[in-house]
Amino acid sequence: MPHIFAPLLLFFASRQLTVLSPIDIAVLALYFVVVIFIGFYVKGSTNTSEEFFLAGREMSAWIAGLSFVSANLGSLELMGWAGAAYQYGILAAHWYWIGAIPAMLFLGIVMMPFYYISKTHSVPGYLQLRFGEGARSVSAVSFALMTVLMSGVNMYSMALVMKVVLGWNISFSIWIGAVTVAIYVMLGGLRSAIINEVLQFVLIWAGAALIPILGLIEAGGWSNLKAQIAANLGSNDYTHLWSTLGHFKDNPMGVHWTGIVFGLGFVISFGYWTTDFLVVQRVLSANNLRAAKMAPIIGAAFKMAVPLIVIVPGLLALTVLKNPDGSIMHLVGEDVAAATGQHSYNEVLPLMLIRYCGPGLLGLGITALVAGFMSGMAGNVSAFSTVWTYDLYGAYMKKNAPDSHYVSMGRWSTIVGMLLSVGTAYLVANAASIMDYVQALFSFFIAPLFGTVVLGMLWKRATSAGGFWGLLAGTVSSIAMWIWVQRDAGALQYIALSPDAKPMAENLYRALWSFVICVVITFVVSMLTKPTPVAQLAGLVYGATEIPDDGADALWQRPIFWAIIVIVVFFILNLIFW
Amino acid sequence: MAEGTGRGEKLSIWFFVGLLPLLYGLILVPYGAWEAMGHEAPTTLHQLHPTLWWGILLLIFGVYYTIRFRPGKG
Repeated sequence: MPHIFAPLLLFFASRQLTVLSPIDIAVLALYFVVVIFIGFYVKGSTNTSEEFFLAGREMSAWIAGLSFVSANLGSLELMGWAGAAYQYGILAAHWYWIGAIPAMLFLGIVMMPFYYISKTHSVPGYLQLRFGEGARSVSAVSFALMTVLMSGVNMYSMALVMKVVLGWNISFSIWIGAVTVAIYVMLGGLRSAIINEVLQFVLIWAGAALIPILGLIEAGGWSNLKAQIAANLGSNDYTHLWSTLGHFKDNPMGVHWTGIVFGLGFVISFGYWTTDFLVVQRVLSANNLRAAKMAPIIGAAFKMAVPLIVIVPGLLALTVLKNPDGSIMHLVGEDVAAATGQHSYNEVLPLMLIRYCGPGLLGLGITALVAGFMSGMAGNVSAFSTVWTYDLYGAYMKKNAPDSHYVSMGRWSTIVGMLLSVGTAYLVANAASIMDYVQALFSFFIAPLFGTVVLGMLWKRATSAGGFWGLLAGTVSSIAMWIWVQRDAGALQYIALSPDAKPMAENLYRALWSFVICVVITFVVSMLTKPTPVAQLAGLVYGATEIPDDGADALWQRPIFWAIIVIVVFFILNLIFW
Repeated sequence: MAEGTGRGEKLSIWFFVGLLPLLYGLILVPYGAWEAMGHEAPTTLHQLHPTLWWGILLLIFGVYYTIRFRPGKG
């Protein structure tokens, strides 16, 4: 048998980028010791369901805010967007700026009061309060499925990165990650997950910030970097955020500004940041209304800085990465890389890490990546266990059980969720294309869910039937458009409204259309059905709810003041890199 | 109450935020100093001694947070 695997092992051996020295292993091991210790340490404070699933609702704005932004700062995203920056240039920064900041501020200022004062435990829980059981069950089932699958994708991705970068065995990485995360989430619930996310945020910066710093020193500063990219690629398009978006053909991504502003900046971004329970759960753990409003604003401020450690390394790689003969290294797509043995776009971050970081710093960088992957798993599994326990098990299987029963179910569902994730990881390992399908699946639900939630919060006339059928129609239409493009690539020109659109545009416009369909169906069905009495909407809908005072006296204590500062900085950044 | 870790606990979340960089600083500074004495790995810009300087930065950050949020304070 071994001879059958020999060519495969040889392939991976030749692909292995580096090895860890003892000091790197010490740095990595230290991280594992600390996170396991934290799990055991906080176990004593997770005895009630409120403590296990919502961290006792006692987190300050800073903790909830850092955890909120960190939950989205997984290694999959970091490595993927660094690769996208290499491929498409600074346009990738749109996913960190217009694709995040306005939505995060909207969550903090407009939506958080409703989530918070409704005292819901989850986003499906809010849908149940506002639209009834139908909308909750659609949302809870799809969300539970997605979190388990995404956790598995994170697990496999970590194993693959460890394999490619360090030559580690896939199963070893999967199980070491799964067991560690299962221990600390099972013991400490959301509290463990949040503490580790805050630690991960610090680690990501400690491990990755040296890359852009040393890279910019090597390139001779930002202006020289732009000049070198223009000279190497024969185009200025890679370092402009907006000036190339006038037409699909004018930029490397093949998108139009309407897709970026309305598809990404409005629908996808608002959908993700305001209705994905994985991130909203972090803010629900805040200790008062003002902290709940401030948390997304603090998160937004830090989010604006993330392109420094993600986008800048991708841009630097266009000029500083060289082959042994001194020529510029050209990275390629995964398919070509597998066939030719070249490095792929997704390897940008590890390649840059190895370029600048020797023993010790390399271990720190690898630890940051591992922390990012494990945090991704922990976030998904803790959100899964909450939605499973509250919105599926507690809602349909065993109502009115003692609180300790639900805590116990939360711990067990963490283990089961982890095992399902391990199964998903092995499934993805045997059929890599499943990863693309899982990520596509995730996109099916987000845009219509935003339509349903935002109409539910802001429009009193939206009815239960309207919410349910709007959500269902939006989701089904998103799936239908995706299948249409999969079967006939030419369909993209109809969805993106241009024959010059490239695949990236499909996601943006599909989200936009599914949102529009959800809103139209919700509107029409609501107008045809009996309105919900306003008295039943108190605490759930704008206009039927008196928003309590958040306790801010001075100007600097007011969330809106800080939101304005963040949005002004956001505009300045966009103008600087126009 | 220690912030973030639960009612009745002694160690604040910010203590852990300081502890890990402190430990990393304690590992990186001596190693970086040894490297700076002519044992640098052949990475790009190794002549700037990034391990030593980054280790010092982590150490300062870690010391500040672990002292400011040490158990029993406040």
